[in-house]
Amino acid sequence: MTSSNNTRGRPGRRPMLQAAVSASALSTLPFPSIMRAQGAPLKVGCILPLSGVLAFVGTATRRGTELAVKMYKEQGVNLEVSFVDTESKAENGRIAAEKLIREGNSILVGAWDSGTTISAAQAAEAAKVPLVVNIASAPQITEQGFTQVFRNFVTAPQLVANAVQRIKDLPRGGGFNPETAVLMHVNDTFGQSSRAAVAALWDRLGVGIKILDTISYDLRARDLSVEVAKARSTNADLVLPITRVNDAILIVREMVKQDWNPMAIIAPGSPGAYEKAFTDALGKYADDYIVCVPWWDPRQPIAKSVIDRFTKEYPKERFELNSGFGWEGIQVVADAFQRAGSSKPADLHAALRSTNIESHVMFGGPIRFDDKGQNNNIGGVMLQNQGTEPRVILPGDAQQAKPRLPHTPWSKRA
Amino acid sequence: MTDRCVLDETAPTDWRTLTAAVAFVALMVALPAVVNPFHMTVLSLIFLFAYCGQAWNIMMGFAGQLSLGHALYFGVGSYIVAVLAQRYGISPWIGAVPAFVVCALLGAALAAVGFRFAVRGVYFALLTIAFAELVRILFEHWELIGKTGGFFLKALGADNNPLLSLRGGPLFTYYASLALLVISWVVAWRLLHSRTGYFWRAVREDEDAARALGVPAFRMKVLAVSISAGMTGVGGAWFGLINGSLFPETVLGMRMSIDLILAPIIGGLGSLFGPILGAFITVPLNELAKDLAQKYSLSGLNLLIYGLLLTLVVIAAPEGVWPKLVKAAKRLLPKGRRS
Repeated sequence: MTSSNNTRGRPGRRPMLQAAVSASALSTLPFPSIMRAQGAPLKVGCILPLSGVLAFVGTATRRGTELAVKMYKEQGVNLEVSFVDTESKAENGRIAAEKLIREGNSILVGAWDSGTTISAAQAAEAAKVPLVVNIASAPQITEQGFTQVFRNFVTAPQLVANAVQRIKDLPRGGGFNPETAVLMHVNDTFGQSSRAAVAALWDRLGVGIKILDTISYDLRARDLSVEVAKARSTNADLVLPITRVNDAILIVREMVKQDWNPMAIIAPGSPGAYEKAFTDALGKYADDYIVCVPWWDPRQPIAKSVIDRFTKEYPKERFELNSGFGWEGIQVVADAFQRAGSSKPADLHAALRSTNIESHVMFGGPIRFDDKGQNNNIGGVMLQNQGTEPRVILPGDAQQAKPRLPHTPWSKRA
Repeated sequence: MTDRCVLDETAPTDWRTLTAAVAFVALMVALPAVVNPFHMTVLSLIFLFAYCGQAWNIMMGFAGQLSLGHALYFGVGSYIVAVLAQRYGISPWIGAVPAFVVCALLGAALAAVGFRFAVRGVYFALLTIAFAELVRILFEHWELIGKTGGFFLKALGADNNPLLSLRGGPLFTYYASLALLVISWVVAWRLLHSRTGYFWRAVREDEDAARALGVPAFRMKVLAVSISAGMTGVGGAWFGLINGSLFPETVLGMRMSIDLILAPIIGGLGSLFGPILGAFITVPLNELAKDLAQKYSLSGLNLLIYGLLLTLVVIAAPEGVWPKLVKAAKRLLPKGRRS
């Protein structure tokens, strides 16, 4: 009888033994708990946008996912992953999930964007197959009453709250004492919700910097000269861009062209600047740009071993947020598989409910899911590009480099 | 009876049409006994796109009015039912009525404005795109529906009754989608063989000549757009219930407008079975392309294969697959029976 069937409230011998093995392994190994000889592989279905407008980030997530599967397999945890491409269309989530369930996958991982995730969750819920959300930030995903959803990612309000707090905590002095800011944001789902969250939290958290103007632009914009000129005319001390990669590049190029040197560019909870495409495209001009995002934790030994391996496997790529949460999505699955000792969806579901992973890659507390399936322990760091690499500058105990503020004027960059 | 066949050379006689329709429905009703939930989901998608294709076919295939912005009605219908159900607890059965009425009125208003000022052909198509984009942008800034952040339906509880909530598992979705398709087919069939249907086809062939013969072209065109829009609104509502999440870009965007018209174009415009056959070609082709891309782990390959396959279909049957099949079948019949 498995623990999930034990109705007398007394823990079974087998789960206790597994828990003890896991705990002891966790305490001694940089790599998570290992149980060899799992027998038949656990079939994992992974839903990601691998083509279409989200292909870039979907592919980065896939790299992290594949690496985790490979690393766990080497440690004796036999996972077999199948990918289904959603073509960046939210409505394809359900059909992708149905397909993976039909192919015999006992657990699903995905699906990078919120619409696809909700769509896939409908199918997972109907089939009673757990869905581990690797990346998707809409709060509704864990607020709609799904019982099969486990999200190891921050909600959009959490993401922005972490970011605003970091901006508040940024040390002042040495010519860096900002009083005003201008917010620029892309006008898509993510940009709108982030802007609203920043507006709601800015005064509540008492940042003490006045936002002079909010400037939006279309996701498909090919030129942001007017928007940057408008932002420049506010003479704000800080630029707060909420961007994707391409528009972040456009903004910096335009700022260089217009020789506008505010005290700093700080992206509150925004992707873009930490990605390799950004630093490759801008070179020295990518430096000093600051972003506040969930990131891998430089203090964690497991993060170091994963990144070393990632660099070997993908020498031209960067291990960033997408790869990191792709990796952790599989870590959550592998951990549940080990503890469940079974590949039955119901057993995996029961194991996921009691997840408690202390040693993991991304910054934050132990991976645990609340009653709604949300991991509330994911933190956020402040990164600054230095030498065309993102470095953690806050919080202090995870710091990889000192903050470089105010930012170096464009004309003085070697 | 003869007159009807003269107007549409690819239309089989009524008894053949009905026999084919009944056989198709009987086959589809029995199919869940031998297919798995995934296939049922794919078939539900086929039925939905066949339904929406039939709705577009009424406007374009029967009345000859090109719309490239049908996502407008699809999106509005989906939001109406979802918001009424989620925010106000109104049953989707009731919500489907305003979804149809509002979309029909929207279509009528758009058509009246366009046709009153003699906007025809591609210019009318541009007008439909412009309206769809306008509404998409409005929805992206509308707080009630979650703006660009999306609108989400609650998960189904253990006490869910699919017949009341119109939301359920693959089997329920399958039969409900099939029922919707059957209704649309009967409506289209009745309209095609009605006085209005003849007027529409007269307008389609030569509007000026039809007008000269006393056909109320303006009224007929507005009616075609209105019915098509209302039906598409109900299709959108059904999509929202299946999918559980709605985003303006997804349901009101240009891509959805194109997805909605692919099936009737591939299957054959102006015919009753064209949109159905078209959906049976486009949706499985897309799935096949995805399978190939997955097999070879080449992201994006599916889009390339899908595009290539569609191109081949269009080259082989530029007037649509259904009319080509009908012509081929007629050639096989003895000369005296080719009516």
